[in-house]
Amino acid sequence: MSNLDASKSATPVSAMFRPSWRDLLTGAETSIAVTLFIVVMVGVFWVGPTFVSSSNLSIIGLYLAIPMLIAATSSFALLAGVVDLSIGSMVGFSSCLFALLVGTFGWDMWSAGAVCLTICVALGAINAVSIVIFGADAVAATLGMLVGLRGAAYLFSLPSGQLTAFDPGFYDLTNQNFGPLPLMFIISLIVIGIAGIVVSRTRIGRHVKAVGGDERAATRAGISVARIRFAALMLSAFGAGLGGILYVGLLGSASNLTGTGLEFQVYAAMMIGGYSILRGGVGNPLGAALGMLVVAGTANILDVQAISPYYANIIVGLLLLAAVLLDRLRGGDAYH
Amino acid sequence: MADALSSSAVSSNWWGALKARLPGGWGNAVAVGAGWLLLIIITGLRRPDFLSHQTILAVSFTMAIVGVLAVGQALVGVSGGYIDLSQPAGLILVAYAVTKLLEANVYGPLVLVIALVIGASWGLFNALIIVWGKLNPIIVTLATNFVVGALLFLVFQNAQVPINSDFAVNGKGYFLGLPNIWWPMVVLVLVVGFFLPRTRAGRHAIAVGGNAFAAQARGISLRTTRIAIFSLSGLCIGMAGILFASSNGPFVPTAGATFQLPVIAAVILSGVSLAGGRGSIWLILLSVGFLSTVPTSLVFFGLSSYWQAVFQGAILIVAVAIDGYRSRRQAR
Repeated sequence: MSNLDASKSATPVSAMFRPSWRDLLTGAETSIAVTLFIVVMVGVFWVGPTFVSSSNLSIIGLYLAIPMLIAATSSFALLAGVVDLSIGSMVGFSSCLFALLVGTFGWDMWSAGAVCLTICVALGAINAVSIVIFGADAVAATLGMLVGLRGAAYLFSLPSGQLTAFDPGFYDLTNQNFGPLPLMFIISLIVIGIAGIVVSRTRIGRHVKAVGGDERAATRAGISVARIRFAALMLSAFGAGLGGILYVGLLGSASNLTGTGLEFQVYAAMMIGGYSILRGGVGNPLGAALGMLVVAGTANILDVQAISPYYANIIVGLLLLAAVLLDRLRGGDAYH
Repeated sequence: MADALSSSAVSSNWWGALKARLPGGWGNAVAVGAGWLLLIIITGLRRPDFLSHQTILAVSFTMAIVGVLAVGQALVGVSGGYIDLSQPAGLILVAYAVTKLLEANVYGPLVLVIALVIGASWGLFNALIIVWGKLNPIIVTLATNFVVGALLFLVFQNAQVPINSDFAVNGKGYFLGLPNIWWPMVVLVLVVGFFLPRTRAGRHAIAVGGNAFAAQARGISLRTTRIAIFSLSGLCIGMAGILFASSNGPFVPTAGATFQLPVIAAVILSGVSLAGGRGSIWLILLSVGFLSTVPTSLVFFGLSSYWQAVFQGAILIVAVAIDGYRSRRQAR
């Protein structure tokens, strides 16, 4: 985001790593937790106790599992100050390529998965070369990747737009329940928890935050800005590629529309949870998880009540505006 | 970010000296023009029937709406507003309004005026949120596009301008061998390109894009500039909405999304920096022409139209990489 960060946040780097009680009470995580509480209350009173029944929670969990996994990996790119908009199409690209290799060409799952992930990481590296090495604007460059990969997904799935790749073992694994909740959802929660620990408790996490927070200060502190951003973009592509493969396992098929709009859902939820797509160094994976629960809970309430899903988009859009406004009132970047 | 519209830095070698003498952005013109020519030559060598009046019609037809939207996007870009992501929703909003007004038999010229007003109001609406909330235009326009896109879906699934209306007839007509809808685009590009660097207000907008705080120190109101630029950009969306509604058949609420990428790519290829303060509007004619030739060219190569997305994505990535490289070099 070298072109976009004209005005820098005034927070000194050292203050970024010192969580205080005041931050905890006024921070993004608190307001998002309150929002989540409101959503749950609305759900319980409007839908009834079935909203928190294990069958409904498991529906929400299965719906959220893969987006949450993707959020965990792309959160590092956001933290490092380089947004990766291409994740939605990366999911579609990877699931179509995987289904093509397994279903049409009869490859075994492991080699198809390995090839698929390698190509996705290579595509992430293309994003990184244009953004990190040439200094391209991250929004525009990854928008190009978004459109290009969607075109590739259409090409892979010609002529019907659908690819079948059903593997009983993979299907059972991805659809398995662990206790009352889907196994994949629990794994995503663990992954996002690990991401949270990495961000707040490890050196790598602090470096990523420092790079996103103040590029020049990070350089002066001896952190390689280019290397961290490069790795973050490749990690984001890896997560999206893995998500695409998991969708094939979950559904037994891929479509040229798989993952369409996922980037907006994931980033809207993450911005509601305290991230910024234009400024690195802010937000943490806990907020992302809460934001995703808010969005998924809202969508679920409307779904159960048989209300058009477009109302959910309207609510999410308004929540997004409210969240960025709140962020600015808390001292985030002002745009003049 | 140096202001290339005034004059570039004097360099010691002959290349720099030559560059300093020529008007800003000419290097871009040569590069984009050469790319366009190369595409035409390669396709023409492969398929001589490519070089026909039919191709010119197809290309100029594609150019019209992309070109008008690109002028709006370029105004936003050059004044430091980065990207307006709300164009798709705004375009369909206007097109739907035009459809409804024509169905209600409203007098044609009045429909034109109302459509332009709706377009400008759309831009103004975005600008007010940006200025009032001091929020970044990318996020604001992302959110408004999201919300209004969903609202449009609740209002209609499919719409079409009445086939016998003047709009539909003229929208598919020709003037001097080129589509009617191509001409307003050319006039818009020429007029905006002429006045932007030659009027006080235009130079102010460029100055704000180059360095907002320096411009403010010189007494230019950032708020007024943002509001004016987004309203003007909205006016372009209104114009594009009219052209879109009258030249296309039935459309769905998401139809505007297909223009997003070619428009941004055209603006960046024309040398308008996303970082603001630099670029020539006239070059949009070249970059839009180049990008609009790609789909037709692919058809002549016998490639599926889905390749178009792959090529446009690749062109955008390369273009922003070049843009970023140039901004970095100038910043040094």
